[in-house]
Amino acid sequence: MSTVLRATGLSKSFGGLVAVKDVSFEAAPGEIFAIIGPNGAGKTTLLNLVSGLLTPTSGRLELLGTDITAMPTYRRCRLGLGRAFQVVQPFPEMTVAENVLVGAQFGSEGVSSVEARRRADRALERTGLDRLRDQPVEDLNLLQEKRLEIARALATQPKVLLLDEVMAGLRPGEARQAVELVRGVRDEGITVVFIEHVMPVVRDLADRVLVMDHGSELARGTYAEVTSDPRVVEAYLGVEDDGSRDGAERAGVTSADVSSTEVPSAEVPSAEVPSVHDAPGGDTGDTPGKDA
Amino acid sequence: MDLSLLPQAIVSGVLASGLYALVSVGLALAIGVIGIVNFAHGEFFMVGAFLAYQLFVGFGFDPLLSLLFVAPALAVIGALIYLSSIRFVLRAPELNQMLLTFGIGIILQNLALLIWGGDPRTIANVPYRSLGFQVGGVSIGAVPLGSFVISLVLVAGLYWMLASTPLGRAMRAVAQNRIGAGLVGLEVDRVYLVAFALSALLAGLGGVMIGVIQSPTPTVGLGFTLKAFAIVVLAGLGNIRGILGAALTVALAESLVATLVPNGDALRNMVFFAIIFVVLVWRSRRVA
Amino acid sequence: MRGLTRDLVVTAALAVLLVFLPAVLREVFGRASVSYLSLATNALVLAVLALSWDMLARTGQLSLAHAAFTGAGAYTVAVLFKLTGAPLWLGIPLGGLAAAVLALGLGSVTLRLFGIYFAIATLAFTEVLKAAVQRLPTAVAGGAAGINVPALFRPTFVAGSMERWEVAFLRNQGYFWVYAGLLVVAVVISVVIQRSRLRAAFTAVRTNEQVAGVMGVNPARMKLLAFVLSSFVAGLLGAVEAHRLGSVSPDGAFSVHTTVLALVTPIFGGLYTTLGPILGATVLAGIEETLKRTFSEGYLIGYGIVLVASILFMPRGLVGLGSKLFKRGGASASGTTGERA
Repeated sequence: MSTVLRATGLSKSFGGLVAVKDVSFEAAPGEIFAIIGPNGAGKTTLLNLVSGLLTPTSGRLELLGTDITAMPTYRRCRLGLGRAFQVVQPFPEMTVAENVLVGAQFGSEGVSSVEARRRADRALERTGLDRLRDQPVEDLNLLQEKRLEIARALATQPKVLLLDEVMAGLRPGEARQAVELVRGVRDEGITVVFIEHVMPVVRDLADRVLVMDHGSELARGTYAEVTSDPRVVEAYLGVEDDGSRDGAERAGVTSADVSSTEVPSAEVPSAEVPSVHDAPGGDTGDTPGKDA
Repeated sequence: MDLSLLPQAIVSGVLASGLYALVSVGLALAIGVIGIVNFAHGEFFMVGAFLAYQLFVGFGFDPLLSLLFVAPALAVIGALIYLSSIRFVLRAPELNQMLLTFGIGIILQNLALLIWGGDPRTIANVPYRSLGFQVGGVSIGAVPLGSFVISLVLVAGLYWMLASTPLGRAMRAVAQNRIGAGLVGLEVDRVYLVAFALSALLAGLGGVMIGVIQSPTPTVGLGFTLKAFAIVVLAGLGNIRGILGAALTVALAESLVATLVPNGDALRNMVFFAIIFVVLVWRSRRVA
Repeated sequence: MRGLTRDLVVTAALAVLLVFLPAVLREVFGRASVSYLSLATNALVLAVLALSWDMLARTGQLSLAHAAFTGAGAYTVAVLFKLTGAPLWLGIPLGGLAAAVLALGLGSVTLRLFGIYFAIATLAFTEVLKAAVQRLPTAVAGGAAGINVPALFRPTFVAGSMERWEVAFLRNQGYFWVYAGLLVVAVVISVVIQRSRLRAAFTAVRTNEQVAGVMGVNPARMKLLAFVLSSFVAGLLGAVEAHRLGSVSPDGAFSVHTTVLALVTPIFGGLYTTLGPILGATVLAGIEETLKRTFSEGYLIGYGIVLVASILFMPRGLVGLGSKLFKRGGASASGTTGERA
């Protein structure tokens, strides 16, 4: 099997507003696939479509050869789809270990409680959270919360892991650790699909990159290919207010420079970029309004 | 089914909707601006009714005159309740707020029972109580018409206040963004205080009118709380403008069923709540 | 599973205690034990009601329909004995089942409603059900006047061998034991939930349903499961209440008051725990009785003041207050206190 996750012609509109327009991509086993684009390009909406928080207006999704287009989230998860959220959303009132245990207990069919505990322990270990296992999640700092997001997703034993901006807000050293973590995950054969704004991270990690703009695909290819594409440079990297560096220059940042991108300028929301996320039907983000 | 009663049913429904809107709009203010789920709201209504009754029995005040006294009294009661309790649970879980306001409701209701007893009280001998006129076979009572007009004026006044005064703008700012409003220098706490007092005031005025229309007992409050909640939820939380439409819908439906269906008066509540239930469920399923 | 075993042992001990309580009261208080026993019965009723509501609330479903399920239980019993000559003890399990089936129906259509919307929809459901029962043919459901229900216990006075008050005592004792049985059923369901993976699933669904789904939890299934278990217990309770009160009527059986008590008690005692609702019921029943005896009129004012004060001074309920006192603070302990009990 050469494709683990396949999206074909995915579209999503909210009322008259098209958030994702005819996007197709596929991810191979063990691949690290990046989705980049300016704020409001529809990246998180796309990820929400994949994980099942939103239903596509049209298009088709396949996971491991199974059509999951209309499948509820929990069944996608049990089939092998893990997801870490951009805005960290641990379950309050639970400890770190309890949070991870939810994923371990319910992420696959018929897991014994002993096996679930083992899986949870392993996910905690992988993410360096074992020391904090009995802490209430309220006490975690941002880095620890991000690790918890990943730990919970790993505990579900995913075959595909969706990561939504897990580097955002991390300090340089922390980001480097996170990069190592993602590499380790991939080395186990898990396919990683991630949204990222920190360009050096994309450069270091991604086998292939999908560039989105205004809900549709702008370019696709290796990091070098997309960053040298003039349309990408103009639409995405060019809109930065910070005129000090252009896309090519940023593309040249070495992996050691991960440490120098504490506040990547692409992350600064730009008023000129129309934001799909702020539009009516604004449940395109991570937490669609509960009181619908 | 006797269709000749249709015009009468429609007129009665429309007239009843004013009072529903008035009570609900106060609750919507508490929920929308302060974010407090106030289960004692109907008790303000009850207190208004009994204050009017007391003013009538004690001083012979006409209920119309009582409106002028009940309004400030309820505003003060509302303000005191806000300052002594509500203020401390603004960030508490919804359930805690519910229990607190239930407790306040129990206190108000039982104070009223202690003072006035459990019997229904009527503001009798009001000169216009039985006044009315006929328009093409439809009879319109002076009291329902008057309460409709007064309610509408009050609701319109509230809408105008929210739209065009600094205080109203402050309330809308606070409702939309608590933190942001705090940052731009609004005294959020004071806005809440005023909103809660206003909410109680509006309910109290509604109570004065129900005191004339019906013969309430001190236990009517919870029923009106539930109906007001239902209307607020039907309009959509935070949608103060939608209250009028929602109130009109349920009042009309109630009136139509009560008039047109044989023995339908007993079905009023059933129709009211059936509409709420169906609309909520239907709306929740429509959203993808 | 050691935790579950411990909880079940504690439950068994509680059951034994409840079995002997009437005899102890009788020894200690003699004639006055009749009223103490009915106070204890009231506490039991409240505890079962509160615990069953709490189970549902653990999934985030803030129901205002609890009276619909106690009412369904009560009417099942009433209609059963009005229309058939069924065995006396058959009505109670049937009442529980009827409530559970009703919950499955209501729960399925309210799955996508949250918070106050869910609360109002369930309240509206109860009101519609009440009106519908009232409109059923009088020959079946008795209309607004209601139906009489046979008593479960009819102790007879035997002159010479017992005193008059002992008749009332024996009747009260019978119902006390039945309610004690219901409490044990409710506690067992509750601790099994709390000691299995259901606890995490319920909490996850309550705190973030969408993320729970992404973690593999089936939120619809969890919510329905909680609804059915909760309502089954409520239905049993309503059925026994119908027997004890001797009649059912729409206004009584579907009273908002029942719903209010069902949610007030666990909040007062401590939400999302087994201990909290039971503790809350015991203390509230005691407070109400004391107030009633002290101030014959308007004693409910005091009751309201207790509720307001409890929210202001112990927002996490009695259980939260208790764990705060015993653990002596430490921010790290605050997050999960009381969750396991």
